[in-house]
This record gives sequence, structure tokens and C-alpha cells, in this order.
Amino acid sequence: MANICLYFELHQPFRLADVSVFDIGLRKEYFNRTEELNRKIFQKVAHKSYIPMLTLLLDLVRNNHEFYFSFSVTGVFLEQASQFAPKVIMLLQRLVRTGQVEVLAETYYHSLASLYSAEEFKKQVKQHEQKIQELFEVTPTVFRNTELIYSNAIGQLVENMGYAGCLTEAVDRYLHGEKRTQLFLGKTNNRLPLLLKHAQLSDDIAFRFSEKSWISYPLTADTYLNWLNSYGHDEIINLFMDFETFGEHQWEDSGIFEFFKVFVEKSLQHEKTRFVTPSLAIKKYKNAQYLPAYDVPHPISWADVDRDLTAWVDNELQRDTLEKMYELEEEVLARKNKDLLEDWRRLQTSDHFYYMCTKWAADGDVHAYFSPYESPYEAYRKFAIVLADLQERMI
Amino acid sequence: MANQSKSVFMIGWEYPPHNSGGLGVACEGLTQALAQDNTKINFTLPYESDIDVSHMDIQYCIHKNWKQVQCHCLKNGHNCNHIICEPPFSAYSTEFIFPEEQLPEEENTGYSFDLGKLRKLSNTQLEKQVTEYAEVVGTVGAAKQNDFEVIHAHDWMSFPAGQQLKKQTGKPLITHVHSTEFDRSGLSSGNQYISAIEYNGMKQADQVIAVSRYTKHLLEQKYGIDPSKITVVHNGISDLRHSADPGRHHFAPNRPVVVFMGRLTIQKGANYFLDLARAVLERIPEALFIVAGHGDMYHELIFKTAREGLSASVVFSGFVRDEQKRKLLDRADVFVMPSISEPFGLVALEAAQRHTPVIVSKNAGVSEVMPHAIVADFWDINKMADSIVELVTNKDAAVTQTKGQLKDLAKQTWKLSAQKIHQVYKNALLGKNSR
Repeated sequence: MANICLYFELHQPFRLADVSVFDIGLRKEYFNRTEELNRKIFQKVAHKSYIPMLTLLLDLVRNNHEFYFSFSVTGVFLEQASQFAPKVIMLLQRLVRTGQVEVLAETYYHSLASLYSAEEFKKQVKQHEQKIQELFEVTPTVFRNTELIYSNAIGQLVENMGYAGCLTEAVDRYLHGEKRTQLFLGKTNNRLPLLLKHAQLSDDIAFRFSEKSWISYPLTADTYLNWLNSYGHDEIINLFMDFETFGEHQWEDSGIFEFFKVFVEKSLQHEKTRFVTPSLAIKKYKNAQYLPAYDVPHPISWADVDRDLTAWVDNELQRDTLEKMYELEEEVLARKNKDLLEDWRRLQTSDHFYYMCTKWAADGDVHAYFSPYESPYEAYRKFAIVLADLQERMI
Repeated sequence: MANQSKSVFMIGWEYPPHNSGGLGVACEGLTQALAQDNTKINFTLPYESDIDVSHMDIQYCIHKNWKQVQCHCLKNGHNCNHIICEPPFSAYSTEFIFPEEQLPEEENTGYSFDLGKLRKLSNTQLEKQVTEYAEVVGTVGAAKQNDFEVIHAHDWMSFPAGQQLKKQTGKPLITHVHSTEFDRSGLSSGNQYISAIEYNGMKQADQVIAVSRYTKHLLEQKYGIDPSKITVVHNGISDLRHSADPGRHHFAPNRPVVVFMGRLTIQKGANYFLDLARAVLERIPEALFIVAGHGDMYHELIFKTAREGLSASVVFSGFVRDEQKRKLLDRADVFVMPSISEPFGLVALEAAQRHTPVIVSKNAGVSEVMPHAIVADFWDINKMADSIVELVTNKDAAVTQTKGQLKDLAKQTWKLSAQKIHQVYKNALLGKNSR
């Protein structure tokens, strides 16, 4: 039987308030904690996606004891959910309580700290773990980094923190002809188990599902199952995607919810497929006779066409603001000021740098879709002013 | 002793609140002072408006070919209902795009420009509109020819109209140069069509007024204009409507603030401001540099800022006006104007008026009237950096400079400018130096 390993990411950034040059040094708040923008977006997405999809998942889990999936949720998401849509937390808690749903570890702030500061990275992972324990009474054992960013060095950090495995993207240039549907081992001291995203089958749902020009439009659960059934015994099909695929990126009227329900139910009936969580898959296959190595010298991610870091760390605007942010680490920590530290960490959320991306074509459209700014230049301009204010607080 | 009464037909292009920059402000200050000095003025504009002035008669000169659009702007709370309420094109933006700088002052409440009118014009279109303006001005002026003795045209957009009217009435023409194509293109050749209009206008003029010795020199060197017919008349500066409130209390109280304010074009030298920032930050790491303004170099400038690792030390405020402009000039510890070529540079005087020590480019006319300001070559980063470090670390030096600048300003009145212009009118009527 082939294994279907489902993983969904839940994240919403705290968007920046409009801080002007004339506010520098005047203690203006950066994040409209209670303000309209974040609330409006969160509640809109909760209504369209989080609540209906979580409700559907809860039904599926309760009615099918063989149905498993995993998710991870950022700390900044959980804070906003508690404040703007507590029902989302309640549904997540119910799901976790069933024992069929695994929660994965990640950074609290959905940050790029793994690329800039090992110490800061560990602290944010720890902070996230505490939040998950507090809300769900479980301790994650498998890790997924922000945007599935991974390299050998990051793998080593993750391994050192005691995780049983890690999720990332299957990038052709590092697969060396190996099938992506098996468990890989990282180039780390203890050969960290890795599960690699099946981009094509994931993106059939996440990106192409409602695209009318797509040759397979409209996609039915039967067709999709046929594709999955072409995989052999003991293969692992990793379907990793944003949770908002359901209801937000693919709208309800596209039939996405119905598709997912039928797909799960039919898969369960089929003798050729079964559902697993990441930790189940790792446990099951980590002692297999042959497991290929996944050697990733340069960081990869699940984003854009290139599956690299260029969505966040590409042009000078992104590079300089990121470097400036992490140069402040020592100074921010030395202040021992809770508010300052919290602001600095929220500014690390990768979305702020994603908005500054100046790549064009199809990727650019995706960036524009998510950005609250009229242009990447405006995203940079505003962020730099906030950074100037953060510096001012430490003079 | 009051001057002998004079009458002038003045050809304008813009007037507050519809000004894209210095020209409108200068025309306001100048005509008020001339009127005080016993001058009867007819003043033309290529658009309709409800400009409320009592010191002169405004002649709205609209050509029938111009796009007749009912204006939707709100002035005094009601639709203005004019068919064209702004100049046909903005004369001072490098690309002939209506710049955001044209947004009027908040004091003239409720008015807003239609930004949908952003446009680029070809030389043919420019020529057409300037010629059409000349046609209308010629007709209006000829009908009033018993009402004036001299013709006074401001900058190239008005020169063909001045020449036309001179031809029709035989009255002496004075062309007033506030800015040339060489300045606007950063001392490169710029738009040859426009420099040709400038050249012809000055050649045909009986007298030429330059806003600075710097500009007079440029007119001699670049345009070959006979220096004996050029008179330098510096601009004045009006009294503050909101008193100065210098100090660090406005914002960023913990560090030195250095300000650049102007269009982000090659002319204004904003890229030198970034070089300067880098040099100063090596010595004063906490200094904050603020770039205020919009323009076609904006993206280039933010990329340069980031590439050189200056993010958060150099920040961009966007275009500022009114309260924000005052606040920025009040807050600045040093104001820098590193223009490549600046006929005058009013904003440097405005900064001085708000008690801010000023560093100006040697290639700026304003340096001639503000001997207490620091003057440097726009490319001399070392000298400017040394001056900034001195001004922010030595309070006495800053105070001394600020006081000196205020003394300089006291002499810089529009009344004085008006007296000089009267003399130019006299010379023109006497046929001195005219061809």
C-alpha cells in the first residue's frame, strides 16, 4: 500500500501599522494588534477557509479512524486566532485530541532565523513548542521550517534539537534520480530522516485545482486517486500545502471541499492507499535497508518556480533589511525589554520580506496577491522606517 | 521716495496654489512687491482659476484647442466648474509628468488635483501648446495695449508669447529666467527644443533677468547671451506664516537628523546625499538621513540605499508639504542641498528661516544671498561630511551659523527685488542695451 502523508500549514502574519518618518522615536505601535486590517483579514479567511475546512476535517477524522493528517501552526497565527476567531483554536484542539492528527514543530514567528542566527532560531522553536504544549497538550516530534526552508546546516540544527525528522521540498537538482516518494536521510551527523513534498500532486490541488486552462480541469477525486494509485507499495506521497488552499486560494464554489471529502473517503476504501502522519511514516521506514541521502548544500524552499530563497532573500532591499534586523540581535537581547524583543521578533516574520520581492512573471503575481502594499518599494520604505524607529529605541 | 508708476503685462504659467515649484511662489512674491511699489500689473495664466488677488488683474488665456474638461476639483467646498484649472503641462518635471509636488497646500482647503491627468508630451505637442498660448496672449495683450508699457515673461513656456506680443505692440520685452534646461538636466544638454526656445526668447528680449549670478553666468556661457543686457535679481522670501519651532522634540529625539528636500531628479543631486550619508555614518553611526520628495530617481535611490547597507539610516519620507514640511525643516539638525545646478534654491532659505544650518551646493544661486551658509561642491563629500559632523557635535557652531543665516535672510526681501526690476523696466524703456 502507498502512504498518503497530508500536511497543512496555518500562518497569518501581523501586518505592520503605517509608521511614518514623523513617528520615529514617538513610541508608535508597529502592529495593529486589535486593529481592523489584521482582524478583517483573519476573520475573512476564518470564515472562508479555517472554520469550514477544520469542521470538515473533524467530521472525516471522527467518522474514519484510519484517516490521519498533520498540520503546523505558527505562534503569530495562534495569537490572532485567540483574539479574532477563537472557534479556530477550539476546532484545532478537538482535532488534536482525537490522536489521529499530528502537530508539527516550527518557529513561533514564521521567521527566517534558521538562515541568520542559530541561537535565535532555537529560541523561537522552543517558544513555539511551549505554545503548542499549552494549547494542545502535545509535544511535536517532527519539524517543518518556515516555507519548508532546508539545507544540510539547518538539518543539523534540527537534529541537534532532538527532532525525529523534518519536512522539506523535493528539489530535482538534489534528488539525483531518486524517487521522491521514499524516506530520505539528511547529511547530518545522525542522518536526520526527511520527508520530501510531492510538488506535482500537491500543487494539482493547491494551485491548479480551479485553473480552467489546465488540461485536467475539472479535477475529480476519481482521477486524482488514479494518479495516486500509480504509486507502489511502501511509497510515501507527501501532499504538503497551505491550509488556505481550501476555501481561500481555491474558493468554495470550485468544489474543493467536496473534492477533498470524496478523495479521503475513497482513498480509505481503496486497498492500495492508506493515510499516515509524518512521525508514523518516519517510524515505519527509518530502519529500511536502503534509504537515499538528500544532500542540500544551499538552502531550498517550497516557494516559487525556483524552490529557493529568492522570494525573501534576493534583491538588495530584502538582503539589507534582513541583515540589519539580525545585526540588532545582541543589542535587543541586552536591553532585556519584553516589548522591544517582541517587536523585533514579529518583524522577523518572513512575510515582511516576501512583500519586498521584485521578481516578476507568475511568481510576482503570487507575491502581489499576498501583499498589503501597493509595491515592493513601498513595503521596503515602510519597513525601513520601522527599523529606524527600533534603532532609535536603543539609542 | 516712491518709484514712478509703471505698468507691465506679465506672462505667467502658474500661480499658487497651482504651482509645481518655485516659479509660482516667485511670481506671487514678486507681483505683490511690485504692486506695493506702484506698479499696475496684468498677469496671464494658461488656465482658469478663482485666484483671489487684489494687487493685479489676472487674464486667463485659454486656447480653444485645449482639452475642455469640466473640472471636478473642490475649491471652497463647491465644484469649481472651470474648464481647465491647471497649466497644460508641468514645466519643471523632467519627463513632463504632472508631479505629485503639484498637490496644493492644505491651507487652500478642499482642493485636489486630478491625478488622472498625468501625461507625457512630445516636442510637437509642447510646441503646439506653447504656440497656442502665445496666440491667445497676443490677442488679449494687443487689446490691452494702452494699459502697459513693458512685457515681462517668466521662463520658456511664456517666452514665445512675449515675443508674439512684442511683435504686435512694439513694446519692450523682458524675459525672466528662473530655471534653464541645462539646470533641469543636471548640466547635460537636455531637451534641445526647449533650450532653443530659451535661446530665442533671450535673444529677442530687450532685457533679461536672471535669478542669480550663477544663472547669469550660465546664460552667458551656455547660451551666449550678451551679459550687458542681463540683470541679476535674486528672489526674496516671504515672512513665515507659522513661526519656527526648531528642536529635537518633533521626532527622532535621540540622534542627529540630516534632511534632503527636493525633486528626486538628476538636477537635485540626491545620489550625492546618499554618498554623504555613508561618509557621515562612518563617524556618527546613529545619524538619521531623511530624503523628502518624489521623482524619477526614486527607485534607483532606494536600491542604492539598500545596496550600500544604509537601510534604516537613510529613510524616505515621500513628498512632504505644509505641516510635514515645516516639521521636517524645524527638526533637521542640518539641511543639505547638493544640487548639480540650481538657479536659486528657495528651500534652502526656508530651512534657514526655520533655524536650521544649511549646506548648499556651490552651483546654487541661493549661496550668493546666504553668505553664512556652508557652500561646497556637490561632489565634495569630504567637505560636506566634515561640516555635518562639526554642526552636530559643536552646538555653538550650529547656533552661530543659524543666527548668521537669519541675518542674511533679513536682507532678502521681495521689496528689494521689486526695486531692481523697476530699474530693469526703466532700462528697457530707455532702450539701454537693447538690440
